[in-house]
Amino acid sequence: MISTTTRIRQALRRPWIARIGVIVLLFCFWEIAARWWIDPMFLSPPSRVFMSLQQVFDTRGVPAALRITFWELAVAFVLSVVIGLVIGLAVGLQPFARRSFMPIILLLYGTPQVTILPLFILYFGIGPASKIAFGVSHGFFPIIVTVVAGVQNVKPILLTSARSMGASRWQMLRHVIFPHMIPSFFAGMRLGMTGVLLGVLLAELYVSTAGIGYFTTLFTQNFDPTRLLGLVAVLAAMAIVLNEVVRRAEVHFGRWHTD
Amino acid sequence: MTGEVAIRVKDVSHQFGEEGDARHVVALRHTSLDIARGELLCLIGPSGCGKSTLLNVIGGLMTPTTGTVEVSGKPVRGPMPHDIAFVFQENALFPWNTVIENVNLGMTFQGVPRAEREARAKRSLEAVGLKDFAQHYPAQLSGGMRQRAALARALSLETGILLMDEPFGALDEQTRMILGEDLSVLLSRTDKTIVFVTHSLGEATFLADRVAVFSARPGTIKEIIKVDEPHPRKPDFVTSQKFTTIRNELYRLLHDEIRKTMAETGMGVAHSASEDARERADGSAL
Amino acid sequence: MKASDRKTEKPLASRAVQVTFLVALVVLWYLATTRWRVSPLLLPNPVLVWDNFWDIIRTGEFLSDLRVTLTELAIAFAISSTSGVIVGYLISRTQYRIRVFEPLFSAIYSVPIILFLPLYVLFFGLGPASKIALGATISFFPIALSTIAGFGYVDKVLVTAARSMGASDYQLFRYVLMPAALPIILTGMRMGFTVALLSIIGSETIASLAGLGHRIVHLAEGMEMARMFAYIVFVVFIAATLNMLVSALETRGKRHG
Repeated sequence: MISTTTRIRQALRRPWIARIGVIVLLFCFWEIAARWWIDPMFLSPPSRVFMSLQQVFDTRGVPAALRITFWELAVAFVLSVVIGLVIGLAVGLQPFARRSFMPIILLLYGTPQVTILPLFILYFGIGPASKIAFGVSHGFFPIIVTVVAGVQNVKPILLTSARSMGASRWQMLRHVIFPHMIPSFFAGMRLGMTGVLLGVLLAELYVSTAGIGYFTTLFTQNFDPTRLLGLVAVLAAMAIVLNEVVRRAEVHFGRWHTD
Repeated sequence: MTGEVAIRVKDVSHQFGEEGDARHVVALRHTSLDIARGELLCLIGPSGCGKSTLLNVIGGLMTPTTGTVEVSGKPVRGPMPHDIAFVFQENALFPWNTVIENVNLGMTFQGVPRAEREARAKRSLEAVGLKDFAQHYPAQLSGGMRQRAALARALSLETGILLMDEPFGALDEQTRMILGEDLSVLLSRTDKTIVFVTHSLGEATFLADRVAVFSARPGTIKEIIKVDEPHPRKPDFVTSQKFTTIRNELYRLLHDEIRKTMAETGMGVAHSASEDARERADGSAL
Repeated sequence: MKASDRKTEKPLASRAVQVTFLVALVVLWYLATTRWRVSPLLLPNPVLVWDNFWDIIRTGEFLSDLRVTLTELAIAFAISSTSGVIVGYLISRTQYRIRVFEPLFSAIYSVPIILFLPLYVLFFGLGPASKIALGATISFFPIALSTIAGFGYVDKVLVTAARSMGASDYQLFRYVLMPAALPIILTGMRMGFTVALLSIIGSETIASLAGLGHRIVHLAEGMEMARMFAYIVFVVFIAATLNMLVSALETRGKRHG
């Protein structure tokens, strides 16, 4: 007869069970704090948030806003990838271009772009365009950097070997440099997705008429923590799913990469 | 082995950097050599003596500062993929391709028509014993098998000449022995001309028809030793008296050059002259 | 041409391209606003921006906002670095704890935590508290994760060697674990600092009553383009300086530690 405590202790030996246990504990703590300690104007317990999720979706305009935000993310991501790939290849394949422009690109990559968020809104308006633009502005830098690295880091022996077998310049590009760059490219896309999420969501939170930012502001101003938490949870879930998709793609396409 | 000359090296010298440069290095100094068709010639010598440089010059990957190389009567001006195939020490297989994709890609580069590729790939993989591993990725193979795959790729190009730069250098001794035996068998079946760079005295003695011994940097050919033993060489050749004599001769020729190189690069424990003399007379300590 | 010549002329050429590029940009900017009639509501005259910039510096107008932002940053970073290092250390002590918590932290950090800003604003209000709280939350994770990595993955050989020579727990910590973990932790702290700065400026932009981020928004809403540009330059300059300082501290810490 194994006692319950022993059984629990045995189960906890597996890390993933312990992790779930930690999360459950946190939720319990949240539940207790929200019910008894904290003013319900500021925080809602998870049970209530969960029950009211349907309400959030029923709020007029929320589903549409979620769709618009998702669309902004998708467009920003695709644009980042295309622009990043083009610039990355242009700069990475030509050594002189790389030496000249990489320092400038890295400098821009390092600046706190959030300072010019108001500028983006002024230039692109308060609609989806500014969100997409700001997302692209965050997303394409890591792609450029990783594509350049992927092109640069080809082991010289591979190029020598191809040359010794009679490969033309175009063949080397297509059969050696390009396949070599793919894992880096996907790693860059993973970082790019993080950037796009940051950019689009920042812009949404700043000012939004049709996107999700409108409702976060609304729920905040109305002191409706239940719906706000619900909405934020949905957005967080969206972010997690998008990140996971890109991460899986990276693992799949980077299979041979031994870095 | 016919008497025909496959590769003619004429007074080749090569230096890196300019005179007066901090990084100026004379890698190769006035080297001349005739390599007969169908023979396996080993280049052996201390580190930095220019043997890899000579190989790259022969293969057209490098243009020598002075001197010329002729392959089958034609002057070498760049890579000659239809005449010369390389096997490098470093793993030069494309890691994102399977073994057979690697072999096919080599033929694509050379310009083999698509219809022929499958047959050639099959033949060369069978020749190196990797028929069952065609769909594997390099990362899934051991070091020895990877070099076999690299060899298969080179063989599929069906060139007359094979240049091998320490191809077994990164492998453990047991794998080296097996691959060496297999290479000898391969050589007996084709009339390829092979130039083989190695550090290993035993490997050179076992594989070569002739061994060119290099001096320390700036390198030139000190002496050429003949190994008169038909291919395929049996494993028991290694324990024969002939083998030991040749190997000892190589050792004698090389030892001073190796010490010279180590002294130059600051490696090796400092010896006094009397210790050196004692060791030389004794012969056994080393 | 000698080989040595060929090597040195290239860096000069690429430098020249960079300088030309930047100069051309400024020239285009100037022409756009003066000759080509681009609206000053879109793009202010660079000369005006320059004048505004020095006006801000001279009058010390920036001081109050800078003080707010830097205070928020300092407090947030203080909270996140102490809690991050302590929590990270405690987790790193056993393999089991690492396997439970490290993936958890990584997963949370991969979500854009800035998303929770409205929650923090709802809870803490529009004042500095919400910025500090969010900044501390976001920067906690890279610090904790790097502390776990630093202490958790110390080469076993070093620990074994020290123990075999009779090291006590304290000696092990002070002379083996700390020096081994320090470089990684310092890198994590630098990342945490950078991320805290970004999140604070970001949250000031979105929902605040004071601070540099708010100042820029205020000017944008008032369409005071030249002054806004000046402040943007100022903030970029401050951010770059702070990041450089922190990087230098990181390098110094790595060398002496």
